[in-house]
Amino acid sequence: MKTIEWGFLIVSYLFLGGLSAGLFFVSAIGAVLHGRIGPAATRVARLGAWLAPWPVMLGCFLLIFDLGKWYRFYKLFIHIRWLSPMSAGSWLLSVFVLISLSYSFAWLDAGQRRWFFSRLPRWLQPLRALDRDLSSWRRTLALTGLPVSVGVGIYTGVLLGAVQSRPFWNTNLVAQLFLVSALSTGCAALMLVLAWQRSEGEELRLLYFLDIALLTLELFIVLPYILHGRISVQAVRESLGLILGGPFTLSFWLLFVGLGLLAPLGIETYEVVSATSTAVSHPRRMAAGSAVLVLAGGFLLRYIFVYAGQMSTFR
Amino acid sequence: MPEKRYALVIDSRRCINCKACLVACRAEHGVPDRNSRNWINEESRGVWPKLLAVSEPEQCHHCSEPACVRVCPTGASRQRPDGIVVVQESDCIGCRYCVVACPYDARFLREDRGVVEKCDFCAARVDRGGIPACVETCPGKVRVWGDVNDRNGRLYQTIASRQYRVKKPEAGTGPNLYYLI
Repeated sequence: MKTIEWGFLIVSYLFLGGLSAGLFFVSAIGAVLHGRIGPAATRVARLGAWLAPWPVMLGCFLLIFDLGKWYRFYKLFIHIRWLSPMSAGSWLLSVFVLISLSYSFAWLDAGQRRWFFSRLPRWLQPLRALDRDLSSWRRTLALTGLPVSVGVGIYTGVLLGAVQSRPFWNTNLVAQLFLVSALSTGCAALMLVLAWQRSEGEELRLLYFLDIALLTLELFIVLPYILHGRISVQAVRESLGLILGGPFTLSFWLLFVGLGLLAPLGIETYEVVSATSTAVSHPRRMAAGSAVLVLAGGFLLRYIFVYAGQMSTFR
Repeated sequence: MPEKRYALVIDSRRCINCKACLVACRAEHGVPDRNSRNWINEESRGVWPKLLAVSEPEQCHHCSEPACVRVCPTGASRQRPDGIVVVQESDCIGCRYCVVACPYDARFLREDRGVVEKCDFCAARVDRGGIPACVETCPGKVRVWGDVNDRNGRLYQTIASRQYRVKKPEAGTGPNLYYLI
C-alpha cells in the first residue's frame, strides 16, 4: 500500500448512498404492501419517500468534490463502461435520483404542492407547469424504483468487491453486506424521525420487524466473511488480520459488531417481545437509541472497509 | 505476425541501486519530487558474513489483463494494441479507482494536475523508434525491453532461456515485468 486514496469523502458518500437506497426501499415496500399491512405502512411510506432523495444528493456532491478534477464529473455520463462498477454506478445513481425525486413529489398532497410552488422565487415560476398530481403514480414509481434502490445499495459493495488486488474487499459477500447494511440504515433513519415526531407504536413496530430481520441477515453475512476468510488463501487470511488483531480490531468488534449490530438487535427484539399491545414500551428513547446505533454502525462499517481494504494487498 | 506485446525483463542481480533509472524517468517526464513512476525495492537480510542485499527495480507492469483499465469509468486508462497501458489525460477525472485497483501500487494522482499518472514505457519515445529512458540509461545492463512476441528479439530469447518470476501472479492481471531468477 502506498497511499490511502479513498478517504472520508468516499466513506461518507457510501453511507449516504446506502441510506437513501434504504429509505426508498422501505418506503416502496410500504407503498406496495399498504393494503395488507394497514395505514401505518402508508405513513412509513410517505416519510421514507420525502427523506429518500436528499442523503444521496449530498453524497453525490461529496463525490464530485473528491475528484482530482471535479469539473470533469460530466465525463462519467458521456461514457459507459460495463465492466467498471463506477461507470455503471454513476448511471444508476442518476436514475435513482430522478425516480426518488419524482416519487417524493408524488407523495405530496395538493395543499403541500400549492405551498411549495407558492414559495418559488419569481424566476423559477415557470416550474409551476410541474404542479401535477402524481399520487396515482406512487405504486408505479415505487415498483420501478425498487430494483434501482437495490442497485444503488448493492453497487457500492460491488465497487469494492470488484478490486481483485485488495484481498480484504475481493469477496462476493461484501456487496450483500453493504446492501443489507444500507437497508438497515434506512429503517433506522425512519425510526429516528418517527421517534422524534412522537408517533404511535404501529409504525415503529413495523420498522422493528424489518430491521431485526436485516440486522440478523447482516450478522449472518459478517460471520461467514470472517470464518471463510480465515480458511482461505494466504492473502485473504492476512488481510483479515487487520480486524483480527490489527489496527481495526477494536472498532470492528466492539463498535461495529457490538454497538452497531448486537446492541440494536437486542433493543429492538426486546421492544417487540415485551410489547403487550401494538404500542411498544418506552417507544421514543429505545427507538432513537437503537436507530442511532444502527446509523453509527453503518457509517463505521464503511469506514473500516474502505480503509482496511486499501491497506490489504498480496505479498 | 502476432500483435506486439511490449514487456520488460529485469535482472536484479546486476542492479547496484545507482538510481539512474529513477533520475532518467523523472527527467524525461517531469515527475514532481513527491511521486515517482518507478522505484527500487530494497531488501537486506542476514548476519555478517552471510549477507544478502538486493535492489529490485519496479514500475507499471503493463499487464495483459490490467485491472486499472477494467475499472476506469471513463476509459481514460486504456491499453494500446502493443500492450502499453497509458492514461489519456484529457479523459481522466481523477477518481483514483485505478490507483486503488493496481496490485503493484504503480499509479499515483498528480496533485498539481488532478489526473492519474504512471510509467507508460515512454510511449512517446517508443513511437519515435526509441526505447524507454530507464532502459537506455541503465549502466548495469539490468533491463531488457522489447516485444515478447518477436521470437527473434532479445527479450523473447532472454525469457525463453532463463528462469523468471513475476510479482503477485495471484492477482490475476498477467503482469509483463519479468524478474530473472
